[in-house]
Amino acid sequence: MTRHIPSICAGVALLLLWEIAHRSFGLSGLPGPVSAFRALPELLSDGDALYDIAQSLQRMAAGYLLAAVFGISFGLLMGTSPLAERLLNPLIMMIYPIPKAALMPILMIWLGIGDASKILVIFLGSSLPIIYHAWQGGRSVSQIVVWSAAAMGMGPVQRLFRIVLPAALPEIFIGLRTGLILALITMVVSEIVARSNGIGNLLFNSMDMALYDRMFAAIIIIAAMGYVLDLIFEAIRTRFLRWSDSGEHIQVAVG
Amino acid sequence: MTANSKLIGLVPILGLVLLWGWLAASGMAPRALLPSPVDVVQRLFELLADPDFLAQIGTTLFRLVSGFLIALVLGTVLAVLSASSEVTQTAVNAFVRILAPLPKIALYPAMILILGFGHSSKIALVVIEAAFPIYLATYQGMRNVDKKLVWAARSAGASRLHCLLFVMLPAAAPSILTGARVALVISCIVVFLSEMMSSTEGLGYVLIDAARNFRTIDMFVPIILISALGLGLGAGLSALRRKLLVGYPQD
Amino acid sequence: MIAIEHLSKRFKTAAGKDHLALSDINLELKSGEFVSIIGPSGCGKSTLLYMIGGFIPASEGRILIDGKPVAGPGPDRGPVFQEFALFAWKTVLQNIAYGLRLQGKSKAEAEARARVLLKMVGLERFANFYPKELSGGMKQRVAIARTLAYDPQTLLMDEPFGALDAHTRTHLQRDLLQIWEEHRKTVLFVTHSVEEAVYLSDRVIVMAAGPGRIDRIIPIELDRPRQRSELMFDRRYQEYITQIEGMIDAFETEAA
Repeated sequence: MTRHIPSICAGVALLLLWEIAHRSFGLSGLPGPVSAFRALPELLSDGDALYDIAQSLQRMAAGYLLAAVFGISFGLLMGTSPLAERLLNPLIMMIYPIPKAALMPILMIWLGIGDASKILVIFLGSSLPIIYHAWQGGRSVSQIVVWSAAAMGMGPVQRLFRIVLPAALPEIFIGLRTGLILALITMVVSEIVARSNGIGNLLFNSMDMALYDRMFAAIIIIAAMGYVLDLIFEAIRTRFLRWSDSGEHIQVAVG
Repeated sequence: MTANSKLIGLVPILGLVLLWGWLAASGMAPRALLPSPVDVVQRLFELLADPDFLAQIGTTLFRLVSGFLIALVLGTVLAVLSASSEVTQTAVNAFVRILAPLPKIALYPAMILILGFGHSSKIALVVIEAAFPIYLATYQGMRNVDKKLVWAARSAGASRLHCLLFVMLPAAAPSILTGARVALVISCIVVFLSEMMSSTEGLGYVLIDAARNFRTIDMFVPIILISALGLGLGAGLSALRRKLLVGYPQD
Repeated sequence: MIAIEHLSKRFKTAAGKDHLALSDINLELKSGEFVSIIGPSGCGKSTLLYMIGGFIPASEGRILIDGKPVAGPGPDRGPVFQEFALFAWKTVLQNIAYGLRLQGKSKAEAEARARVLLKMVGLERFANFYPKELSGGMKQRVAIARTLAYDPQTLLMDEPFGALDAHTRTHLQRDLLQIWEEHRKTVLFVTHSVEEAVYLSDRVIVMAAGPGRIDRIIPIELDRPRQRSELMFDRRYQEYITQIEGMIDAFETEAA
């Protein structure tokens, strides 16, 4: 508990800073934290707003899970096959700096402003770091361990699931985390660009309608999403990596 | 890597371009939805000769570079502050831990309302997005500096401040530049998105303007340009890194 | 003169327990003396050296240099580390000139003096090289020159030749002795090699672990200047080595 004290103090300091900025600027566009938090229950009891948030989370989950499955398989393929690596590395490097959320307007024209385009853009936005880290993780698996597993009679599929995947897991989780943050950001941006529903839509609509308390409440909700997802992710990661630690002991025995 | 193994990497890239060209030529996708790659390249060169369009690029570059440079200074200064004592380290890291998981893009409307629709709100968004990777890389780099390097300097008569600025900071340079590279790509993406979400100029605005008028071909051009900008600036920074780090062991 | 009085060092372990690394060390070093510290791993010999350097604080007791207590690092005590600790971003010449520049000497003056030192360690051809372009032995020569440049009264050497191959090591030992004969600095030399300690030193301090303490101080009464090739056939030299080896073996069996 004591190790959280500095963070709590920092949080309080930020809220104070916000309040001070509110009072000193005197802008209608910058309400104080008190009125923003007061708008929160009102927003959350509003059925439409809840629907918006649920829609956002649903699309984000779909896009992110697709990206995770695709990214891990693709990355491990690159990490274990030198041919795949040489073939795909330049492509990945070229795609890397493309702002994926910027593809939203084109995807909208192709697929409409519904779920399909948004899920696709979230998928595109979050898959690259997952591919990259799974690739690095797969590469770092000691060739000697893989060889000795092969010598013991493990087939390629078994080797992939029992040796390569657990050994690459810590690195894969780094990618999954970056991917998660990007999925959240892409989700918000996609909804701002294609405004039909979702939390991003709520955020910018509130700004356009000059409902500033509501806008800041939406910011708080998005921030909270960031924190909650981060917490859930940490919990899952600790669970899995504990398992991967025992996996590493097995590896030592194999090597 | 040999030339041959590099060439093999061009295959999927060329394959994708050919697939795109074939899709556009076969008529399966209407021209209004998918312009051919040749048309897009032609339009790109047309626009590059247009002074108005160049001004848009200039606007984006100005926001991008100023945001990145402010973030570079801010991130580095905070890291030095953090490395200078236990107290500052605890304080700075407490704020970092609170702010890092926050999707900064959500603060963008607030920045618009406070700083206006012009340059400053975009630059501010770039700064807060790019400062984090630079801070984290610099902080980690300075923490990992061999203590004995500092001891050797202190014995030679260097003050604590001197060690911080002229021993630990240069020793962390490889790590700082790696962080800067990541931050540069992030800056490119963020400045573009900020212009898409609300702006009346810049490459992101060009994209949104084309989308509103269903000029598909003009939507491809800014995306290609901002990606090329990201690649080019990243390559430039890598070259600079090789030059600056001439004495450092290769990593 | 360096006087160490009732010096102790406690660390907090990861589990939060107190660990006594060094217990009640008392020692005097005369000016111009060459003293080696040897002992099993964990006896705190490097810790002792770092405390004299002023890099880590003592828990109890004090260290006096010419009567003044040590409060931190200073140019009167120059360290040489096993890891070389050279500045990667500076050339060989800039590394050596570093301390002189800090003392406010002009660039030209500092570099002229650095060149003299570079010649002394036999690396004048490598002035404009970066450390990464040098072999381990050459790096350590640069590190020694960098420390000698600001003319400390005492050299604190922490297993300086520990990372080098046997051949390079012998060369550097010989050169170090030569430099010492010429400048007569006080040298405190931590090492794992009994042979090295006996070959170089006026006195060898044998330390024991758990808690780290001085077990015995053995004066090495061999004539100087010493020639390694002659010493190899000197019975007293061999006896010193056998005696100290035996003591350290005994500590290690005791610990195991």
